[in-house]
Amino acid sequence: MIRQVFLIARRDFLQRARSKAFLASMLVIVGLVLVMGPLLSLQNRAPSPYDIGVVGIEPDGLDASLHSAVRLFDRRAVIHRYESLTVAEEALDGGSVDVLLVDDREVVWVEEADPQLEAVVAAAFGDIDRRKVMAELGLTEEEASRLLSPAQQRDSSTLQEPDPDADAKKFAAYAGNVVLYISILMFGQFVLMGVMEEKSSRVVEVVLSRAQPRHLLAGKVLGIGALGLIQLVVLMAAALVTLSMADIVDVDVGALGFRTAGIVLSWFLLGFAFFSVLYAGLGATISRQEDLQGVAMIPVLFLLPGYFISFIALENPDALVARIASIVPPLSPLVMPIRTIAGSVPAEQVVLAVVLILAATYGIIRFAGRVYRGSILRIGAKVRLREAWRAARADE
Amino acid sequence: MQMLSLVDLHKRFGDVVALDGAGFNVEPGRIVGFLGPNGAGKTTAMRCVLGLVSPDQGEVLWNGATPTQPDRLRFGYMPEERGLYPKMKIREQLVYFAELSGLGRSAAAAAADEWLERLGLTDRANSKLEELSHGNQQRVQLAVSLVHGPDLAVLDEPFSGLDPLGVDSMAAILRELASAGVGIVFSSHQLDLVEDVCQDVVIINRGRVVLAGTLDELRNRSGHRFLGVSVDNQPWSPDLDGIETTTSAQGRRRYVVDAGTPIDQVMARAMADGVVTRFALEPPSLTDLFREAVGR
Repeated sequence: MIRQVFLIARRDFLQRARSKAFLASMLVIVGLVLVMGPLLSLQNRAPSPYDIGVVGIEPDGLDASLHSAVRLFDRRAVIHRYESLTVAEEALDGGSVDVLLVDDREVVWVEEADPQLEAVVAAAFGDIDRRKVMAELGLTEEEASRLLSPAQQRDSSTLQEPDPDADAKKFAAYAGNVVLYISILMFGQFVLMGVMEEKSSRVVEVVLSRAQPRHLLAGKVLGIGALGLIQLVVLMAAALVTLSMADIVDVDVGALGFRTAGIVLSWFLLGFAFFSVLYAGLGATISRQEDLQGVAMIPVLFLLPGYFISFIALENPDALVARIASIVPPLSPLVMPIRTIAGSVPAEQVVLAVVLILAATYGIIRFAGRVYRGSILRIGAKVRLREAWRAARADE
Repeated sequence: MQMLSLVDLHKRFGDVVALDGAGFNVEPGRIVGFLGPNGAGKTTAMRCVLGLVSPDQGEVLWNGATPTQPDRLRFGYMPEERGLYPKMKIREQLVYFAELSGLGRSAAAAAADEWLERLGLTDRANSKLEELSHGNQQRVQLAVSLVHGPDLAVLDEPFSGLDPLGVDSMAAILRELASAGVGIVFSSHQLDLVEDVCQDVVIINRGRVVLAGTLDELRNRSGHRFLGVSVDNQPWSPDLDGIETTTSAQGRRRYVVDAGTPIDQVMARAMADGVVTRFALEPPSLTDLFREAVGR
């Protein structure tokens, strides 16, 4: 009866894939992902130079001191000189300059001082003042320069080898986590609605006269799961394209991206298998729209703790709660991928997590599959789980 | 030769007894009217045939053996609660259900097109089900249950909700299928219709079959006849001991008499009272048999 499962899966896949709502949401998501790349590039672009306005009396060596101070912050400075205070203030107000130096006695800001630029200006004036004092003390230019030369650099080192990709991995883990959570929730709810709609439209009795309940359940989960997988692959491909265009500093987007995509897709399959069957079992107990919200909440209660703990895992992949949750189903599908992407997880922990979620999925197939069989033909009021369980036993 | 046998079926849902030893047979090429008051167990019995409900006791036999899943794919089923996929195009639905019943892709497509043409829905092939009128949705429902060319059709209330023209075309399709050797069981509350369409009748009450046989057999087997006499255009009473008066479906007064009543003597007495303008001695109609069988 593999053919029945295939036919049911194909119908569910095609009907949903062709629906305008699905196509529109897919376009919007892919569009957003593609726009994200250029936005990231914009954020990562080299900072623009500081524009510094000068008006009135100015101390000797102002330009040199400003340029040398701004270099300490890896920035550049462009100095603009004005004839009158009025013109200079207009330039400041209009945003042409970031700060205005007036008569060697006043520093004027538009509204609030920029802390970095304030430090630049302070350093430049400190330099000028020291040079003035040194001239008064009768030091030669060479002596003054030696005194003012930057301190000799000491070697700095760390005990552990830093991971140059740590930030990129964290970003990938965060993005992977959100995508996983949304995908499992969204496609799980597609299964829930699909099962309920078959009951409420009464078509289920026609289908079940030609296929066993387990074939219908399996076909639905596989068809919608395949759709979810394709959407994820498209999403990941769009993300890889956009990130590789987005010139992120020194990160091998390809390697990290493929690794992240592999981990997210694998855990999507594991997580979806568990949650979709749970959703299907619950969907079979209802046949009315008004009962939908109530049962839709139940899987979310299992998903949310994993989602919250995944943020702890993001900050500290080796935290005790993260280590436990990454192994225990049904939390593992959202926590283990984060730990694996953001940090490094011993292989035996990953294997254990996979074995446990597979075992839990087997358990949920037995449980929800039976609830499904016991309630799928009972149209009308919500079927209680106990009644569905008993009805299925009577029908065995 | 029996194609389908329901043998001593029992089924309970909690405290409710749906079937209490029900059993009957269906032969190839015969149309069986499956009758009973609401809640008598018709739908449960039909669901047992399709394997949608497992009986607590008793069995369903197909050509003498327990039907396998492939056997059941040779059944066509139209449930009482109508339903298909509202947003799916009707041709796609027909192809889908034909494939689900075991037909290959091209055979399913050919069968779907044939049924669309037969029901006059070819120009609506790409319409979604929800865009069709109620009557056309009913037709598609029938087509879905028969698209794979089943050997047995189990139809729960196929005539309900149809207008007189729809009833005629449904009856014509059932007769056509039966003449091709398909065994048909259908339930209905429209007894005059059943009387017109079916050859065999099964009446079920409280989960038990209380009457089963060919329509003629059941009529002949009944110990009663209905007598209606008018003398000089006025209703006339035969004046027999303990005679029961009823009213026919057409509102005429009738008398219930034993099958063995000497009718020639009754006739002679009527002729003695005047000019006999009407004299009818009828076997019980299906409605009479039904009332008698379910005791209502």
